[in-house]
Amino acid sequence: MSPYDLLPRFKAQYDANNQEFSIAGVVRPQAIDELGPSIALLRDAIGRVRGVLYLNVRRLTQMNNAAFHAFSRILIDTCRARPDLKFVVITSSVVGWTSRKFGRLSGIEPNITVEEYDSEFYPGQGFLEEGGFVPILRSQTKMTWRHERAILPRHGMRQGIVMADICCGIGDFAVLVQKEFQPSRIVALDHSISSLNYARQVMREFDIRGIEYTYGDASEMLLDEAQFDLVTCRHSLQIFNRPELILKELYRICKPGGRVYITNEKNSHCLGEPRAESIRWTYNEVAKLFGHFEMDVELGPKSRRYLMEAGFEDIRVETFMVTNLDGDPQDFADVIAAWADVYAGEMATRRGDGPEFVAQFRQGFEDHIFAALHPKGYAGWPIWVASGRRPQ
Amino acid sequence: MGPVHHELAGEPIFAPMIQIDMEIKAFVSAWRHCDYVSTYMARMISQNRSDSVRHSNLFSSALNELLEVASRTRHAGGDLACRVSRHGATDRIELTFPCVPEERQFYEEAVSHVTGTEARERYLNSVSGDLAPSREVVLLELAVDYNAALRVEEADGDAIKLVVDLPLEGLQH
Ligand SMILES: C[S@@+](CC[C@H](N)C(=O)[O-])C[C@H]1O[C@@H](n2cnc3c(N)ncnc32)[C@H](O)[C@@H]1O
Repeated sequence: MSPYDLLPRFKAQYDANNQEFSIAGVVRPQAIDELGPSIALLRDAIGRVRGVLYLNVRRLTQMNNAAFHAFSRILIDTCRARPDLKFVVITSSVVGWTSRKFGRLSGIEPNITVEEYDSEFYPGQGFLEEGGFVPILRSQTKMTWRHERAILPRHGMRQGIVMADICCGIGDFAVLVQKEFQPSRIVALDHSISSLNYARQVMREFDIRGIEYTYGDASEMLLDEAQFDLVTCRHSLQIFNRPELILKELYRICKPGGRVYITNEKNSHCLGEPRAESIRWTYNEVAKLFGHFEMDVELGPKSRRYLMEAGFEDIRVETFMVTNLDGDPQDFADVIAAWADVYAGEMATRRGDGPEFVAQFRQGFEDHIFAALHPKGYAGWPIWVASGRRPQ
Repeated sequence: MGPVHHELAGEPIFAPMIQIDMEIKAFVSAWRHCDYVSTYMARMISQNRSDSVRHSNLFSSALNELLEVASRTRHAGGDLACRVSRHGATDRIELTFPCVPEERQFYEEAVSHVTGTEARERYLNSVSGDLAPSREVVLLELAVDYNAALRVEEADGDAIKLVVDLPLEGLQH
């Protein structure tokens, strides 16, 4: 047997509090007795629960028919013996086959239902995944790239590496990296189908190679462990209400000795002259507004702590300021205008803000634009870059 | 490799992508070989699919079942050959492996059930049935859940060749 054979490739667990049995990993036994302990655990769980037993297969990446049959047999038999008990199988849209395969069971036993579940811990999903954000992301990446292209090599970016960009959005960053640094392979993952379609279209039109766009959930990725030299996740930890869960996944897919690179904002530190006061007030409110939707756009300076707590070493943190002087001040102004649209528009409305507040809120963005375009003005948007190495 | 669409007398030409040959004795000596081979081949051929990670997951799932079928052969000698080729959105698996005459007959019958209209019903019955999954279920599932087209072809010696066309690229989302 090779050492690989000794690694457990799947894990079954029972969580009594939530009446949830979960099985994750690759389950491809030759004979059913290899599943003995997991099957016993499931039977035991069934013996204890009342009402509903949740069967979580969200992280089940492979299961052969032999194993599927063994587990489904237990569910079907239980349904017949105990009509009081219901099973809810929780699948993920990311794993292509699970919903269909487990879905068959509900056709056989009405007490088995299948729910396709996708992360609920990302409350702002609606605002950021829909098409409206695309132009903002484009201009943002154009502006941050001027800085990041110089910064990235200090955080592990080199030619020929294998890298992943998690929460890649419309893929601009991946394309820029591909051109500038020529990694040997880039896997770019996002949970927005429209963004991925956009990214793939760009790739086709410009005949770009070496980037693989994939639909996935950053909190539970189909990607194998320890396969990337560099894992980037830009402007995204800050939109999850439990960033530590994402970091755990970034850590998992990163090679030992490889690095995870994150960028985040601290929105209340956006600034401008003239009209500094009004600008400051508005961006303080931006932070509160995101907070209302459980997103922490003040995360930037907390990156160091998050990386340390996730188990990284050799943590490096730096900041840069995108300003109106970097390139065309109009680009800067356009980004602010797009923020104003979403923040003082849909988001404020959704929170139930009154017209007076919205007017003042909007004024700060207009003043920021004014500062950006003013011949003697200065406008800035600070970004925190942090990276850590996964221990060997 | 870009999508190549040759058409010759109606029969599309599949461009070869990868092939693995192994003595059947060596192959069946470790069950894990099914997993290794399916994972490896899936990864190799999925890199230029529109969603490589999902494609690879689905392809590995299908190929592993076929390899497990081959791994249960009752014939002890000869070679296993697994070849994948591509035509547009369809990937073709050609799996050749030694088998005894009864097995050959079994596969021929099984494949004829798969192509029939009752495939779906047979599949559901086998999922709800008490018996351990037969090799037929695997083939039914490929047809019902993966939209695969299956056929059996002649192979040299005591061998059989299963040809499975998988349109996974069109199956996503
Ligand atoms: C603020 S955008 C950042 C995009 C890109 N990194 C950039 O800098 O332009 C956040 C991205 O996270 C994606 N996202 C949200 N939830 C996700 C999840 N659970 N898994 C993967 N991506 C997710 C969104 O679709 C969106 O593209």
